[in-house]
Amino acid sequence: MKRGKSKKYFWLQRLRIFSQFAFFTLFFILFLKTHYAGEDYLKTTVERYFHFDPLLALTTIIGSRLIYAALLYSGITVLATLLLGRFVCGWICPLGALHQFFSFIFKKIRWLRPKKDDRASLAPKYFILIFILVASILTVNLAGYLDPLSFLFRSLSVYFSPFLNQVLLQTGNLAFALGLKTLGENMGQAMGNLALNSVFQNAFLIGLLFLIVLALNAWKERFWCRYLCPTGALLGLFSRFNLFKLKIDQEKCINCHLCSIQCETNARPYPVDEWRSSECIYCQTCAAICPTAAISFPLRWQAEKIKGIDLSRRKVLLTSLTSLLIAPIFKITWHRQRSFPALIRPPGSLPEAEFLSKCVRCGECMKACPTNGLQPAVTEAGPEGVWTPVLVPKIGYCEYYCSLCTQVCPTGAIRELTIEEKTKVKIGTAWIDKSRCLPYALGKPCIVCEEHCPVSPKAIQLIKVETLTPEGKTVSNLAPFVNVETCIGCGICENKCVVVNEPAIRVSSIGEQRSEKNRLILEVTGENQSQ
Amino acid sequence: MERREFIKSALLAGLTIKFTPDLFPQKTVTGNPEMAVVQGDSPAAITKEALQILGGMKRFVSRGDKVIIKPNIGWDRTPEMAACTNPEVVKTLVELALTAGAKEVIVMDHTINQPKRCYVRSGIQEAASQAGARVLFAEDQRLKKVALKGEWLKEWEVYQDFMEVDKIINVPIAKVHSLSKVTLGMKNWLGAIGGSRNQLHQKIDQAMVDLAAFFRPALTVLDGYRILFRNGPQGGLISDTKLMKTIVAGIDPVAVDAYGATFFDYKPQDLLFLRLAQERGLGKYELEKVKIEKRKI
Repeated sequence: MKRGKSKKYFWLQRLRIFSQFAFFTLFFILFLKTHYAGEDYLKTTVERYFHFDPLLALTTIIGSRLIYAALLYSGITVLATLLLGRFVCGWICPLGALHQFFSFIFKKIRWLRPKKDDRASLAPKYFILIFILVASILTVNLAGYLDPLSFLFRSLSVYFSPFLNQVLLQTGNLAFALGLKTLGENMGQAMGNLALNSVFQNAFLIGLLFLIVLALNAWKERFWCRYLCPTGALLGLFSRFNLFKLKIDQEKCINCHLCSIQCETNARPYPVDEWRSSECIYCQTCAAICPTAAISFPLRWQAEKIKGIDLSRRKVLLTSLTSLLIAPIFKITWHRQRSFPALIRPPGSLPEAEFLSKCVRCGECMKACPTNGLQPAVTEAGPEGVWTPVLVPKIGYCEYYCSLCTQVCPTGAIRELTIEEKTKVKIGTAWIDKSRCLPYALGKPCIVCEEHCPVSPKAIQLIKVETLTPEGKTVSNLAPFVNVETCIGCGICENKCVVVNEPAIRVSSIGEQRSEKNRLILEVTGENQSQ
Repeated sequence: MERREFIKSALLAGLTIKFTPDLFPQKTVTGNPEMAVVQGDSPAAITKEALQILGGMKRFVSRGDKVIIKPNIGWDRTPEMAACTNPEVVKTLVELALTAGAKEVIVMDHTINQPKRCYVRSGIQEAASQAGARVLFAEDQRLKKVALKGEWLKEWEVYQDFMEVDKIINVPIAKVHSLSKVTLGMKNWLGAIGGSRNQLHQKIDQAMVDLAAFFRPALTVLDGYRILFRNGPQGGLISDTKLMKTIVAGIDPVAVDAYGATFFDYKPQDLLFLRLAQERGLGKYELEKVKIEKRKI
């Protein structure tokens, strides 16, 4: 009998690597395209990947009790998984591709080689999934923290984008220092065109987490996919038919265990009948490396049962109970009763409760924001809202004619707005701190906030004020006065105020249109009531 | 020996011509007016006409010159809002400079709103690049602290791009401003510098004069095609603007600004920055002393 590796599966494996590369590249291109490139409306649906994610669909639909139409694309993923198993993890998932790549690199380096210990339970990700799903019943949306697409996009937005910007900046600096003026200029212009956001609060944690997760591949191959990924777990539960089933030709098999040792997700192709179909991601590695070509994936119509994963009823119940106990803690906060002043949400954001049930912390809006103003919340939104987007005017303001963040939200937590609609949305109100404002406090001229106010007629008006100086002189200057009715809370005044460390004009969320409670001026208009 | 002597005498002759300004007086210069004010329907045509009156772009740009054109691209506003310089005016100037023999024409501004948005939505990036200019974003790496030697501003961060060129052409737009009353050519220099520009508002008139004394443009072309008379300096409504269909071009930056002030019914002597500028010897605001040629096309 002729012995040798299978050519067919060798090429299928190459095809899989190519597919991973292509899907990752596409994801990355869409990431880079998520910015203002000269058009008011993005032509590409840059957030399309997220619509195919069944975990995000499930948690936002359960959490908000609403169906966001675009997320129905995830039905395609579910259907495909029902029939073909978790191939999405092995062939399409961009984070999976990244993990695979790092596993591959680490395997080449002796002291970083991942351990081949197959005894560790693969169940944790299922419990993470159950925890998340149960929490979403209580309208606490935790999916975004560990969903692979959210995790990757957020890490790219908050950590990699500033990193890339630094690379361009330093290359430019170096080029200028070396007298390579053209290269330096090109770098600077590329920075202007890409407009990569370069400052993020909490980037340290988000970036560190990303690097740790990548480094875990040196411990176990595809650590994330094996133990952590809730989306992978969900797809595992859906993988019922797995039309292409692993088959070992007993006559050819030489019991070398190589397939099980090399299996990326520890799906145990060997011994026979121990194959964990819910774990197999169809990477084709086992079939390709089998020295006798004993492994194949023939078509067979038969439902599969989840095997080799310890999902006892008791553990599932216990996890659900834990979630039911822990999830409400996220809500024990005064943020629900009274709005937090620094919680300035992007224009078009749904009312806070709905917003929180839908936002998956993917960071799309933060990448799209042209001024870097949208930041991952740390404390602004309470424990429930960690890493949801919040406008921090000290870092960046809301650009008047821009509605990009509303165009890229994958779950509809931020409602899509036209530019015209957006310019009318009030997200907060500016307040003057007279004890710091130059004309008021120092008797010095300054109209910077008024000059920058984009609304016409300006929401910051000028009034004459007199300030008594220690010399007993009275100086008269023009000083800002905010018209709360027309102020939209964009924050450019706060951003440009010369009192840079704690601006003399600051925006707080009061008056935001999306909230019925966080209002300042009582509007009693007979017409509206009669309608 | 003959060759060496030739080189010697050629060198000597060259140096003599260079350092004796009156040796070959350029007749065209003396005959032309100092300022041209042209009114008409097409921004491009009136710009061309104004330059024609002044004696052509050749008077300001020599063959092989590196030229920087500084429009106002400060705001994320479209041309009909009159917050940024008219793109057609900028485009025409780029064309004229290149035709006059400029080696390279750079167009740039340190914007206030997000740079890319300002460049695109003002229409200037597209218009100027079409005409053959290099439209550059202002880069922080190109900032350098230089001695301005002003009355108030002793030193400030300036984009080196402005210091590495042979000729500077200033192309502001006429707008109102609540501190300096109007923003014209001299205030436009706030877009050529970095640092915390907003602090300059504490003594804005002095800052404008200090900057104007430093930059010294070869030519100032004030875009008065559509001016902003309310809600300055960025407006926001078309009703904040007024069609004047006028271009004011001149050699004297103070005189051009003084003329621009009259768009808003200000008397030049009422504007502090104009008085300070004249005292500093940057030009004259008394328009009756300026040789102006007006034309309607």
